Parts: sequence; C-alpha cells; structure tokens
Amino acid sequence: MTVSETATTEPSTTGDDVLVDVRGVKVHFPIKKGVIFDKVVGYVYAVDGVDLQIRRGETYGLVGESGCGKSTLGRAILNLETPTEGSVVFDGEDIASLSGERLRRKRKDIQMVFQDPMGSLDPRQSVESLLIEGMKAHGLAKDERSAAKRLRELLSAVGLPAAALKKYPHEFSGGQRQRIGIARALSVDPKLIVADEPVSALDVSVQAQVINLLEDLQEEFGLTYLVVAHDLAVVRHISDRIGVMYLGALVEEAEADDLYAQPLHPYTRALMSAVPVPDPLVEDRRERILLKGDLPSPANPPKGCRFHTRCPWRQETRCDTERPQLRVVEVAGAPESHRVACHWAEQIESGEIQAHEVTATLTEQTASGGEDDFVGPASVTEAL
Amino acid sequence: MTETIENVQTQANRNEALLSVRDLRVTFQRHGEKPFVAVDGVSFDVRPGETVGLVGESGCGKSVTSLAIMGLLPRRGVKVEGEVDFQGTDLLRQSDDQMRDRRGRDLGMIFQDPLSSLNPVVPIGVQVTEVLERHRGMSRKAATPVAREMLDKVGIPDPERRLKDYPHQLSGGMRQRALIAMALACQPRVLIADEPTTALDVTIQAQILALLKDLVEDTGTALVMITHDLGVVAGLCDRVNVLYGGKIVERGDRHPLFASPRHPYTVGLLGSIPRLDGTRGERLTPIPGSVSDNLPWDSACAFAPRCPNAIEVCREARPELLDDGGGRWLRCHNPVENPLEVTR
Repeated sequence: MTVSETATTEPSTTGDDVLVDVRGVKVHFPIKKGVIFDKVVGYVYAVDGVDLQIRRGETYGLVGESGCGKSTLGRAILNLETPTEGSVVFDGEDIASLSGERLRRKRKDIQMVFQDPMGSLDPRQSVESLLIEGMKAHGLAKDERSAAKRLRELLSAVGLPAAALKKYPHEFSGGQRQRIGIARALSVDPKLIVADEPVSALDVSVQAQVINLLEDLQEEFGLTYLVVAHDLAVVRHISDRIGVMYLGALVEEAEADDLYAQPLHPYTRALMSAVPVPDPLVEDRRERILLKGDLPSPANPPKGCRFHTRCPWRQETRCDTERPQLRVVEVAGAPESHRVACHWAEQIESGEIQAHEVTATLTEQTASGGEDDFVGPASVTEAL
Repeated sequence: MTETIENVQTQANRNEALLSVRDLRVTFQRHGEKPFVAVDGVSFDVRPGETVGLVGESGCGKSVTSLAIMGLLPRRGVKVEGEVDFQGTDLLRQSDDQMRDRRGRDLGMIFQDPLSSLNPVVPIGVQVTEVLERHRGMSRKAATPVAREMLDKVGIPDPERRLKDYPHQLSGGMRQRALIAMALACQPRVLIADEPTTALDVTIQAQILALLKDLVEDTGTALVMITHDLGVVAGLCDRVNVLYGGKIVERGDRHPLFASPRHPYTVGLLGSIPRLDGTRGERLTPIPGSVSDNLPWDSACAFAPRCPNAIEVCREARPELLDDGGGRWLRCHNPVENPLEVTR
C-alpha cells in the first residue's frame, strides 16, 4: 500500500513529490437569460477558490454533498472545465495554459473513471474498440500483435476474461462495465486517474470488488488517484488524504485517519455523524448532529463562512462577515497536515463554544435546478 | 382497531399483525419468453408501531414486493399469487376501485425519486390536499390548513408559501418531505417506504430518517422500509428481512442479526461495506461473482455459486426458510457458525 509511503513524506507542499498542484482555482458558470440576446445575469460559483496538492502515489479523496463543486473541481483538474481563475499545475506544467495538440497529448497522463459505466461507454463499440481507441490516439498501439497483448494484459488486470474483447457494453453487468471503464483509463498508461463517484452506481457486494481492484491497480502500476465521492465511508476507506468540500470550497483537509479521529470543522462533524453505520449498537448510541435546511444555492452563496447559515456553532461575530481560510489549528493531537477553515475550530473543540439550535432557512432553487445542469461540454467523450 | 399500540407490540402473535404477507409470489410473463419469478414465496408480518426492513441488492425483488402489496403492478403480464392480509381483508383479492380507496388512506407509500413521483405541473399544496379531498371528502378550502399543518410537521420551513410552489422549486430533500406529507395526510396504518433516502445527501438522509423514526413512535404507524443500505437498517428497523433472488434468506431482530449474521450472504454484505468506524487499510471482503451467476431456487440454493460456505447439497437441494428456535430464520444448508471470524 501507499499508506506507508505518504505517511513518511514530510508535509512540505512544494517538493518533487507533488503531482498536481491546484492554486486558487475558481470555476464560475454564467447564468444567462434573454430571448434574442443572452445576458449574463449572474454566476454559479461552483468552485470558488480551492488550493490542494496531490502527491505522487497517493489517493486524495474529495468528499462533499451534491452541489458542493467536487465534480467540477475534478473536471477542472482535467481541464474539462476551464478554470475562471487560478492554475492547475500537473507534473510541472500548467494545464490551464495548454491548448490544442499539447493539451491532447497531456490527456494521456490524466484519465477519468466515470460514475455511470453505461453512460460513459459507447454502446455500439465493442470492448476491444473501446480500449484501443485511446491507445491509437496516443500512438501506443504500434503494431497489432503488441496491441493485442496489451489488451489481454489490461483485461486480466481488471479481472475480465479475454473473451470480453468481442462483446459490447450491454452484455456486461454494472460491476463489469465499471471494470471496462477502469481498463480504458489504464490503457494509455496514465499518471493520475480522476475517479468521479466510481462505485456509487454499484451494488454493495460489487462495490467492494471495484474498491479492492482500484487499490490493487494502484499498487501494481504506481498510480495516483483523485477520488471524488459523496460516501464518506468509501472515501475514508480508499484515501490517504481527504478534502471535505462545502459550497465550492474546501472546509477541512487531513490524513484520512486524523479526519475520522478528530473532525474539526462543524460541517465535517455533522457529515460524519450523519453517515449510517451498519451496527445497531453504534447507531443507538451515537449522537447525530442534524443539520437544518438545505445547501444554499451556489449561485447565491452566503457571505462570510459559507456554512454559517446551517452551522450549529455559529457565532455573532466573524462567521457572517469574514470568509475563513484553511489553516493549521492549535488543537492538541492535530498534526500540521490537518487544516480547517473555521474561525472557531479551537474553541469548538475545547467545548468553549457549544452547539445551539438553528432554524432552517429557505433555499431558493434556481430555475435550472442544481449545479449539474451547468456542467460540462455537450459530450464528454468528445472533450477527451 | 381497538387494541393499544403497546399491547400489540408485546405480543408476537400473527393475529396481531397489521399487515401480513403470506407466500407472495410475483411472476412476470412476457409473450414468448420464459416466465421470470421476481418474488418467490415471501412472507412477513408488520405490527403497529414497528419497522420492518426488506434489504437486498438490485434485482432481489424488494421493490416488486412493495408494488405487489400496494396493488400497483399491472394486471397484464404479471401474476401475483399468495395473500396480503390487512385487517382481515386480502389486498390481492380487492378490485382496482377498492385498492384505490385504500391507497393513500390505509396504505401510504413513499418512493425513491420524489421528482418523478410528484406531478410537475401541479403545486405541492394541491397535491397534498388532493389526498384529503379524495379520501376524507374534504373541500379544497377545508383541506388547505390540514395540508399546511402536514408540511409543517414534516419540517418544511414556511409551509404557507411552499403550498403554492411547484416541485421543481423545491430541493431534493424538501420534495421528499412533501412526498412524505402526502403519504401521511390521511394517517395510513401502514407506510411502505421504498428507498426513501437513496437519492438524498447523507445530512438530508439523516433528517428524513429521524422524521420517519419519530412518526412510527408517535403515531404507531407500521413501517415497511425497503433499502439496500444496511446502515439505514441498523438504525431504523426492528426486524430485518434479507432478500436474495426473490426469497428471504435470513430474518432476525436488528441487534442479534447484526451481531451474529448467519447466512453467508448477510455476512458477505456486511463484509463488503467500508465502515466509517472500521480500521482503515483493511481489505474489504466482497462477495465474488454477480447476480447473473444465480442457480434456480427450485433445485438448488441460488446463492451457492457465490457462496464461500457452499457444500455439495447446496447445488442439489433447495433450502427452506427455517426457524433456528431463537427467532432467527435462515434459508441455508450450511450457515456460518461463527460469523465474527468471517467478517473481521
């Protein structure tokens, strides 16, 4: 496992070991209105200022609820979304500044695994053609014999029989399709794989197979993962470090074990207390921090701390005026790698500030629904 | 119904059950195709104030069970056999009109996807009052305050305004609450919730589950909870039925079932889930294969090809659901003796 590797690395953020360096990335989607002329009437602040570093060989988990911008951030790292502001440096090169042929070639190093394996595999392409397409595009399938060998290797790496090559996506079960999606990502020998909700469409028994597969492949090929998911238990299981997102920004970042042992941001606390655990003894004992109301609209995020409208620990001062930045907190037992964006993290942890009642406020739904409606080019495969 | 909730709860007698499903069998028949048995002899009871869970993965027949109870399966092409006893009447022998009267009044249902279960062109308020108008004969005017009260009860802020809103103006969690308000408007005795929180975020899920829990405690409604999430079951259900391939394979009370699962499938499910409070870096133990490997139940145990405990007899004889004497029901030739060794 890579746990030991990352555990020994110093928390220096600017070493050679950083594969992806995201600095101040913002992705704002314009909201347009008008019959003849489109007028920009506002923006959806999907990602609003995120800094994060992903080290070589580690798994970085990005967790948050729907609409928090985690998928958009994942896509911005692949340059599937052009950041409105900020930079994404991948392996020493600024991706946002690349275009055309150079960008296309760079894409070999960053691959994506999608949530819905049926939607991301062309139903009219056989597995062979699906897998070889990327290799051909990047000049990796030089002659037929070596390509065929590579295909067999890929299939055996993801645990599919060689006979699968001639079949079409509909002939497989959900778990097998996700394996094909993973094989396709692996086919071009990438350095980073961005997996957006890789297991959430699968049944639990199959989910575990795919999680184990991802872990095995990382060990075998020395891959770096960015796993974007809403399921905190899954993310914690596979990630070395976790970033918790809320309304377009990171609110907490820590090593997976530290985050679980000592969640310091009020939102992380609430999120953790809400995750059901399949053990009645735990369920009966645990105290839930029930958040009132819904996620505010990312088109009209609250001023100050984004979470202050739902925070049970909200204070009179600072929370609604000053936006907290990720910082190392002075709490016993919290290492330097554990960063929290909360003004009052220390006081909450020490019990100086107690939780209070929150009255739910209304969330206005934008006419076009959630953030998802704004996301993305017309076709993902086209962009890849 | 005259008996109080408490005395019903203490008696584990079949006669006390509010809803009693016996040998439910649902067969889908399509012209020129082999009939497919989606639900195969499922029996369970639900008592007032009790939450019974039906757990399983996709294709195990849990949703079809709920649709069959509610009489929502089409008559053509589907054969529903068995008995669903609700207060002395067999729901499966009721006419469509009779069932329409019962749905919403005696039996409430909450579906997984609130957006497709709500009418997009009708305001929420009208959709809630409609239930009251239909079943209680109230006028729209008289029903509106009741609807407002319902929305308030399920935790929708500013219900007065929300009555006029259309489904698309509400968030996912609020839509699910509106749907629950509709299902509860006539105070049904039985509420069937089919994956009510699957489409929701965890913090919203926690809100909805707390709401359902309070509801069962306060009103004595019998809740049938259909879900794939064992975590949800662990927190909510009094009794749990684990389904596989259309049959119940294990049944037990919540605490003993989770403490010592005995069917290899239940053990496998629990081993597949990464736990938030587990040790990290530990490998998950998935169930090998997929549902497509199943054997037919008539002559074997359907789970045998995926089962680590399978022995010869599993492929040759059909296991029956038997009581182990301690309230645990098992359909297995070779159950797990010491489940802790397998899961940990």
